Amino acid sequence: MSGYFQLVLAQLRIFFRNRSVIFFTLLFPVVLMIALGSFLGNGGGVSLSATLIDQDQTPASRDLIGSLEKQQVVSFSVGTDETKAMDDLKQGDVQFVVVIPVGYGKDITEIEQTGSLSGRNSTQVQVFYDETNLTATQIGLSVLNQTVDQVSKGLTHYNQWVTIQERGIQAVNLKYIDFLVPGIVAMMIMSNNLNGVAAQIAAWRERGILRRMQSTPLRASTFIAAQITARLILNGFQAMIVILIGSLFFGTQVNGSWFLLVCFVILGTLTFMSIGFIIAALAKTPESASPIAGFISFPMLFLGGIFFPIKNMPDWLQPVVQLIPITHLSTALREVMNIGADLSVLWPEALLLGGWMVVAFAAASYSFKWE
Amino acid sequence: MNDKINEGTPIIQVDGLIKRYGDFTAVNGIQFEVRQGEVFGLLGPNGAGKTTTMELIEGLRKPDGGTAKVAGFDTQTELAQVKQIIGVQLQSTSLFELLKVREIMTMYASFYNNPLSVTDLLEDMILTDKADSRVKGLSGGQKQRLAIALALLNDPKVVFLDEPTTGLDPQARRTLWDIILRLKQQGKTIVLSTHYMDEAHALCDRICLIDQGKVIALDTPENLVRSLQSESAIEFRLQGTEVFTEQGFLQELQQLNDVKQADSRQEVYILYTDHLQSTLLDFVRFTEEKKLLFSDLQTRSATLEDVFLQMTGRRLREK
Repeated sequence: MSGYFQLVLAQLRIFFRNRSVIFFTLLFPVVLMIALGSFLGNGGGVSLSATLIDQDQTPASRDLIGSLEKQQVVSFSVGTDETKAMDDLKQGDVQFVVVIPVGYGKDITEIEQTGSLSGRNSTQVQVFYDETNLTATQIGLSVLNQTVDQVSKGLTHYNQWVTIQERGIQAVNLKYIDFLVPGIVAMMIMSNNLNGVAAQIAAWRERGILRRMQSTPLRASTFIAAQITARLILNGFQAMIVILIGSLFFGTQVNGSWFLLVCFVILGTLTFMSIGFIIAALAKTPESASPIAGFISFPMLFLGGIFFPIKNMPDWLQPVVQLIPITHLSTALREVMNIGADLSVLWPEALLLGGWMVVAFAAASYSFKWE
Repeated sequence: MNDKINEGTPIIQVDGLIKRYGDFTAVNGIQFEVRQGEVFGLLGPNGAGKTTTMELIEGLRKPDGGTAKVAGFDTQTELAQVKQIIGVQLQSTSLFELLKVREIMTMYASFYNNPLSVTDLLEDMILTDKADSRVKGLSGGQKQRLAIALALLNDPKVVFLDEPTTGLDPQARRTLWDIILRLKQQGKTIVLSTHYMDEAHALCDRICLIDQGKVIALDTPENLVRSLQSESAIEFRLQGTEVFTEQGFLQELQQLNDVKQADSRQEVYILYTDHLQSTLLDFVRFTEEKKLLFSDLQTRSATLEDVFLQMTGRRLREK
């Protein structure tokens, strides 16, 4: 027991004395947050599409459509079937459905003639969007708002006569940063554990540190347990710092239970650490451990819903996307933080991550080698 | 400790150890016994199989054949008991660089049931001043002393030291020699590997000469040197040796007065003789006659290096 305690202590000391590692493991996610949070938030180079449903069919509505089609960011196609348009939205084929309701033209005419609307402050255009697809919606909504605003100001008195009624699937007001932070936490958990464990264990083996320990009565299970404990503490710490930075400086929300969030952080840590141990066993030298870890973690970075919504992935990739552990970690963290989902919704994620963990841990303990 | 053996019986019994790596046989049927309380030297060139032999006895590697027993415990089937009574310093001792000396000692101490006092051991190994320094900042000698201190934490009966002085400056080597001799006085059995013959000579009660995975001789240093047929050696270099084929030249040297054996290693010729004076005089006459220019002429007593050279035709360390 005291051997276990001493090993945990040693690992924590080594980590906290390695200032440059601490600095960069924390700096990287924060820089990502700032870079993606602010640059992508302004909407450069993202292609968005929307379906327009013109229920009004008046000159005024056609005017609005004309203005909407002039802007470059969201490409519009005019549709007639609202049900089909909503289906497309749910499947992620389009990001928005814009509905110009019956009576829009009448309202516009009234505003133009009398300078006011009887009984109301404005006439509304409805925009439906997929709330889980936050990258797109934040950009798209601001563009749509701007265009409608211009049309509105073209009318009299520069009052905001026409407004957008945003209708998301979930009634939570989310920003891109809310989408981003859980992804970054998932990424940190993956890379710190998978790459970190693989590189460290391979290096310790190469340098004979493990062999030296093997010559004492210390058991492999004690060693592995201590490694896991120390890394759980470190990762919990790092994940919390990133979440705190996100919430203090970027206003990220944590709508769900912190307990469930911590549980998923732990589950993710255990899963990726086990995979890291497997890589350490596969790698013959520390030099080959990093490329192997990179080969596994790099595709997961892009496929796992960290930066890009899973729904944006092409269909043929979906089976892969749905199987890899990072997808479920990022989804689970996101749903807990963003929507406040509980275990009744997230049990498939918990189950899949748990399955990965059990299999990886079994493979890791089977393949662990002191030398 | 409930040993299976009494005083006077060997504490280590190595019987026909074999270790192969693919086609390469690193240890090929090694057999010896180490007596309680002696300093037992494994002497041989790099790659002779010293480290592998030690690691087979320590139970760190599984042999492909043969057995090793420490204090009667088989290192394969009773490894847990073996680990309690041995202390190990590995050849390339690498420790957690960012830990402090006392921290790493405390950590290793926690792996054993009844460890010795860390403070006392640091005192013994002249590391008290460095107790709160990080391993990173230690000198080579200090790191080796720390490695030995770690090997002593469980008050082991047998201490394995694998080339503890390689790469150290002369003063640091001397300090380590004193420490090793002190351990012997404390009654510990020490298995020491080295490729320095002077070290083996100074420290070891018995020396096991190893070459290409085999024991080629095992005796006290004095007896090993005595086993040489000659007492003295004459070494010299030649300028312009192209004139001769080496074999032919060695045969001519062999004909000189009282020369028992003539060898050559990398342009250095060695003549072994029991009668230094007559050989030397004849050698000078011979070179006069043949108009040979020699240089770096030295005479010396035969050493373990010569024992090794005679037995294997190779030097311990290729220069």
